[in-house]
Amino acid sequence: MQKKKLKFGVGLVGLVALLPLALTACGGSKGDTLTIGAQTYSEPKILAEMYKALIEDKTDMKVKIKPDLAASKVVIDAMKKGDIQMATLYSGEIYNGYFDIPDTKDRAEVLKVAQEGFDKNYGFKWYDSYGFENTYAFAVRKDVADQYQLKTVSDLKDHAKDLKLGVDTTWLERDNDGYKAFQQAYGISFGETFPMEISLVYKAAGDKKVDAVLAYTTDPGIKQYNLVTLEDDKHFFPPYDASPVIRKDMLEKHPELNDIISELIGKIDAKTMGELNYQVDVEQRSPDEVAVEYLKQNGLLD
Amino acid sequence: MNADQPLFVRVYEYMADHSDELIGLIGDHLAMVFCGLALALVVGIPLGILCLRSEKLAAVILGAANVIQVLPSLALLALLMLALGLGFNTMVVGLFLYSLLPIIRNTYVGLKQLDRNLVEAGRGVGMSPIQLLVKVQLPLALPFIMAGLRVAAVIAIGVATLAPLIGGEGLGRVIYSGLNMRNDVKIYAGAIPAAVLAILADAILGWLQGRFKKGSHAAEA
Repeated sequence: MQKKKLKFGVGLVGLVALLPLALTACGGSKGDTLTIGAQTYSEPKILAEMYKALIEDKTDMKVKIKPDLAASKVVIDAMKKGDIQMATLYSGEIYNGYFDIPDTKDRAEVLKVAQEGFDKNYGFKWYDSYGFENTYAFAVRKDVADQYQLKTVSDLKDHAKDLKLGVDTTWLERDNDGYKAFQQAYGISFGETFPMEISLVYKAAGDKKVDAVLAYTTDPGIKQYNLVTLEDDKHFFPPYDASPVIRKDMLEKHPELNDIISELIGKIDAKTMGELNYQVDVEQRSPDEVAVEYLKQNGLLD
Repeated sequence: MNADQPLFVRVYEYMADHSDELIGLIGDHLAMVFCGLALALVVGIPLGILCLRSEKLAAVILGAANVIQVLPSLALLALLMLALGLGFNTMVVGLFLYSLLPIIRNTYVGLKQLDRNLVEAGRGVGMSPIQLLVKVQLPLALPFIMAGLRVAAVIAIGVATLAPLIGGEGLGRVIYSGLNMRNDVKIYAGAIPAAVLAILADAILGWLQGRFKKGSHAAEA
């Protein structure tokens, strides 16, 4: 028994001894490193890779990318804490209750509210848009669209109860532009809803597991699985203009970043972004390869 | 990579091509799990002993651990992230919290099921409560504690695949990358090693548990 107890003790001490070792291993230096966070889907990863290439080309800074962060909320919280300093965010983010906002869905005004609100409350510089928006849009399988003659969201009214809807997990619970508000605005309820990771909804439609999906407008899954997007005829969904966002203290420490970040402002339209996403999601190329190729083709990188 | 080959061949090739990266990620994965479990043992065993003091206290402690256990893991991690920031530390604390319940409960049950005569005998030979705990009760409860650790380890290896979502490393990196790129090969390349780790952990801890059990029976005899 003596020996056994000893073994147990040694094991325990060994485990505990590992702890500080591992804890110190993770605390990196933040000096001249810029860390860009990216959400789970390809778009912000590609944009992060573009900035990584540009910044490492034009400055001595090192750029790290933290991909696959769970949601924009996590990205913003991490930025606020300073674990990451930069990210791609979407103007419609303001509807998630970070601060009080006026009642508007006007594209320019929403962007302005985001820029002023995150400046004042979070100390972020929110740039103008890259030139594209990535908002929500209902999309249905081609055969469903043909069968019911669907062109707009309002056309769904008589048929939605027979349809299965695939959506990303957050949408069902969102207040301003979520499912409840949607039901009120359009008077439409779907027969069944299946919340899932956003990247899975398109394939679910392609495989006929669901009939309609709530898609992201720049997602190549729409094209890949031959889905038809329906016009948001009541203008329910708010604008989601994509912009680079950076902590202001980072910008003060490295003012040269301002010019570099501005290089992509107004340069990328929705079609271009959709194509870049297609290359990663469908053609299975890596985000950094796609990003660098784009920059070279457009004379932004030698 | 040839898309015409069967899936398992492509998965094998991917794993062979990326073995360095995968080994690094397995290391990250295990580091998180080890730290989380170690913390859970250090905190959970004393709490389990504390539970023995009174039924009321046991209800409070086990209730609290139960509540933690039913919080959805991603929600718990997102909340922890607010306080601890992105990455390793948040994940370790998350795994620690998830591992608490099986360890507290099994320590408690392990101590409670002991033959009262043994405890009395210990007291009879003049052992102090601490001596009794360290020399009689805990060693005899060890198989139970090990069983709790075994459950906790398997859960922790699974939950640790969520790490990338809050900026941590580990095998989840490959899984989420594959999920996002709709690349099944990558998903398997991350999921298979994670599953193997869980099976190995279960087997190794099960073997240890068996040895402790034999030992404690010998002590009882």
